[in-house]
Amino acid sequence: MSETAAQGSPWAGDPPLLEVGDLRTTFHTPVGPLAAVDGVEWSLRPGARLGVVGESGSGKSVMSRSIMRLLPKSRVTSTGTVNFDGVDMMSLGRRELLEMWGPQLSMVFQDPLGSLNPVMKIGKQVGEGLRVHRDLSARAARSAALELLEEVGIPEPHRRIDEYPHQLSGGMRQRIVIAIALACSPRLLIADEPTTALDVTVQAQILDLLEAERAERDMSLVLITHDLGIVAGRTDEIIVMYAGRIVERASTRTLFRDMKMPYTEALFRSIPKVTDDSHARLEIIGGQPPQMTDLPSGCKFAPRCKYAQDLCYAEEPALIEVPTAVPARSSITDSIDDVESDPAAGVHLYRCFYPVGTPEAAEAFERNIASGRVSEAGVVINPT
Amino acid sequence: MAGSGNAHLRPEALLSARDLVVEFPAAGGRTVHAVSGVSLDLEEGETLGLVGESGCGKSTTGRAILQLPRPTSGTVQLDGQELTELDEDAIRDVRPRLQMIYQDPISSLNPRRRVRDIIAEPLFIALENVSRRTAMAVWQDRIGELLQNMLRRASGVMRIVGLLASVAFVLWILSETVEERAAEPWLGWTQVPAAVIGFPSLALLLLAAAIALLLGLTWVLLAVMLPFSLMSRQFGEVSSAVGLAGVVVTTGASAFLLWRTWSSFGGWAQWLNSGGLSLLTAVLAVWLVLSMVKPERAGASGVATTLSAMVVLQVFYVAGLDGGIKLAVLVASAVIDTLLFRWVLRCYRANRDAERERAEPRVREVLEYVGINPDDALDRRPWEFSGGQAQRLSIARALVSVPQVIICDEPVSSLDVSVQAQILNLLEDLKNLMGLTLVFIAHDLAVVKNVSDRVAVMYLGKLCEVSEPDAMFAQPAHPYTELLLAAIPQPDPEAELGTERIGGELPSPMDPPSGCRFRTRCPLAAERCAAEEPEMREIAPGRFVACHTPLIGEPAPARVDLATNAEGAS
Ligand SMILES: Nc1ncnc2c1ncn2[C@@H]1O[C@H](COP(=O)(O)OP(=O)(O)OP(=O)(O)O)[C@@H](O)[C@H]1O
Ligand SMILES: Nc1ncnc2c1ncn2[C@@H]1O[C@H](COP(=O)(O)OP(=O)(O)O)[C@@H](O)[C@H]1O
Ligand code: SF4
Ligand code: SF4
Ligand SMILES: [Mg+2]
Ligand SMILES: [Mg+2]
Repeated sequence: MSETAAQGSPWAGDPPLLEVGDLRTTFHTPVGPLAAVDGVEWSLRPGARLGVVGESGSGKSVMSRSIMRLLPKSRVTSTGTVNFDGVDMMSLGRRELLEMWGPQLSMVFQDPLGSLNPVMKIGKQVGEGLRVHRDLSARAARSAALELLEEVGIPEPHRRIDEYPHQLSGGMRQRIVIAIALACSPRLLIADEPTTALDVTVQAQILDLLEAERAERDMSLVLITHDLGIVAGRTDEIIVMYAGRIVERASTRTLFRDMKMPYTEALFRSIPKVTDDSHARLEIIGGQPPQMTDLPSGCKFAPRCKYAQDLCYAEEPALIEVPTAVPARSSITDSIDDVESDPAAGVHLYRCFYPVGTPEAAEAFERNIASGRVSEAGVVINPT
Repeated sequence: MAGSGNAHLRPEALLSARDLVVEFPAAGGRTVHAVSGVSLDLEEGETLGLVGESGCGKSTTGRAILQLPRPTSGTVQLDGQELTELDEDAIRDVRPRLQMIYQDPISSLNPRRRVRDIIAEPLFIALENVSRRTAMAVWQDRIGELLQNMLRRASGVMRIVGLLASVAFVLWILSETVEERAAEPWLGWTQVPAAVIGFPSLALLLLAAAIALLLGLTWVLLAVMLPFSLMSRQFGEVSSAVGLAGVVVTTGASAFLLWRTWSSFGGWAQWLNSGGLSLLTAVLAVWLVLSMVKPERAGASGVATTLSAMVVLQVFYVAGLDGGIKLAVLVASAVIDTLLFRWVLRCYRANRDAERERAEPRVREVLEYVGINPDDALDRRPWEFSGGQAQRLSIARALVSVPQVIICDEPVSSLDVSVQAQILNLLEDLKNLMGLTLVFIAHDLAVVKNVSDRVAVMYLGKLCEVSEPDAMFAQPAHPYTELLLAAIPQPDPEAELGTERIGGELPSPMDPPSGCRFRTRCPLAAERCAAEEPEMREIAPGRFVACHTPLIGEPAPARVDLATNAEGAS
């Protein structure tokens, strides 16, 4: 899979800022090993925006924590390469990592309250990184913190700087977390579901803020979410994860216009859309995400896939590149613009024997309906 | 009043809430105006979507309909019955007809109970005093869990402190006994250790118990503030007995220390010493016997709390006695307590088993409705389920008493998109199958559009717009609705990212803006908006809006007449 990943990217000339190679993170649980991340590879050029999408439990957070080297100390092994601008993250010791976190890479976590210290004033938390990394005095750190609070859109920063996290609304807390993450002007920001706990209006504000800060600092951004809607307008490239693996990777426009992976299609179709009529039936992905300690052989998505055939249960498909750049008509948006006019069209990888939109997939679906495995609506009724 | 008015209400409604006002007292004598005159109604079989930013009062409105707590003013009619005038007992009887599903599935289900008991709960809740249960049961559950958790998580130092506190406590009682009865030969064997350890242990006890008390209090405070979900996973494994022993020892030691300090001031302590304690113990014992007769009224944690309180009181009592008797009473009461504990536990278990048996067929039925296999699920605990499954469990729990109306408070907000779709479809199926009437609270407009027959948009305790969803989403009438729509992320990279945003934060509900509450963030705000509150009115068939200059339809007629009338009147 690595050969294909490297070829044919229009970004090949740019030296990547972050290169992740064959990353595997395994938790040793009482019921056996749990490969939360299983052989993931990707790279990110400076200033790029990458979206990571997948259901809960697909390994998104573990992947980002593995890259940051923020995993628990015991009962977990993490192997592979994480190369950040020439630095091999996997070989760094605690002290060197402390130097990387902040000025080089930084992270915004899923739960804003959990990542703030409840008994420390906001100003101090924001200024702390600066004091450590820039050797600022308490006074200088405070005024820098004040500036940052203003920058992330905290109203009345002079008052807020002396408040505690619980005195703020969820949206403001997440702004504080972002201010802390941005304090040392990182070159890469990993935002793990930064808006999942927030409502739509605040979500839009926070995503706008992240984008503005990214553009201004020419920072790279990895935006992790389970909602395809969030990454659609805000990323250059998207990785879709399932069971700890990358199952599809493409530039954002290509992915939405020409998704190949049945899982991506199913995810997309299950989102309620404002443009649909009310009471429109949502197309669900039947079944449950796989049991991570007891994965099926074959394609991990097969028990829930409406196209799955015997082959899928027997053999796991490799991550392959879309054979030709022939403009395919999108099954989703029905748009017929040609793919080549897309400036950001990079590699398009997927992991499937019956990719969406191909006659083979259509036949497979028909066969499944005929055999009673799948309902007309495409929901798997009888997985085996 | 801005966003008030009842033009949108219909005569044939199953549930009708008028002019609901909910206010909470805040620090400094101020008032939180959480809901300020909201009117809603639901026809049978209808789904009403309630949307708005977080903090705008959606949940408070939902809870006010349920009378949890009762609204400050306003009326709620369910099937012609006025709920706000009912007393607690009558409300209890209404409750099975009016259920609620909460936002965070896992933390809204008690982590220590099994699925069979959780689902069956609404069937029995009518037997209990609901208001007492909600206030007290929550406390008891949290403290019980906290103590279990405390023991589990206690670091080495904490354990040593706890141990020291309890050992010192016992030694102290012994040493006092010994000092008083030093002459009596039958106590001689305790004299040696008591003389060696007795006095120093007093100093140690003071220190240790003070620390234990402080830590205990901090933990209690933390536990009350932390949601279940943060702690739930840790519990299952610790047996309640260990937890209970922890309660008794630490509470006893700390309370005893306090009492000793206090007693040097006389007063209360003297009263307690001279028979008051026996009185309190007797009262508790009577309560205990009563709860024994009807254990379903007290619940396990209720009985356990009473028992531990009794033990603490016994300790006070014993401490007030004289020498030899003290030791004898101490031993006797320990034996009696142990027997009592075991008996209570047996009674409770027997009762619970009978209860379970009666409820089981119904519980199995609803679990099947929501797509969960009863054989797998009945004996598991909520945290062993995924978020989507847990939400199905809460739905099953809401369905078990065959309610007329279910209020769903953000039932899918904490779920993944794929699970969200399953739950939305499930609610839709159940609605068709059982003719449910739903209030669906959410902040995601796409979700609300998908499930609703009518949508009400809320802002800072008031309604902005009430309308049929397809029309509202095609052409919003209220400026706030339009901005909300622009904020929805579109799963289409080609789509314009709406650049219009609702700037800033929601104003404080303690100090809402005059006139139209949305005016501080409204792009169309004019002078009139600050002076005069817009009234709900019909601008097109089936479309109601509270705005002076809505995006469709005529601007609101000027209300000069009203203003002059008001002046004339004053
Ligand atoms: N400390 C741990 N010990 C054992 N297993 C773990 C641990 N942390 C995560 N896992 C497992 O690793 C897998 C991936 O978890 P991860 O948190 O990355 O999911 P996610 O995609 O971020 O989901 P969500 O949307 O819920 O955050 C899951 O199966 C999870 O149960
Ligand atoms: N028990 C309470 N005491 C004081 N204020 C409260 C209480 N419950 C809710 N509020 C306040 O009422 C407003 C509405 O709350 P809520 O209905 O929970 O919002 P939503 O459900 O829309 O997120 C908020 O400003 C909230 O802080
Ligand atoms: S078609 Fe087969 S290979 Fe492709 S996703 Fe479905 S199960 Fe997997
Ligand atoms: S135009 Fe005026 S009345 Fe209408 S929403 Fe804006 S501020 Fe309120
Ligand atoms: Mg995660
Ligand atoms: Mg709420």
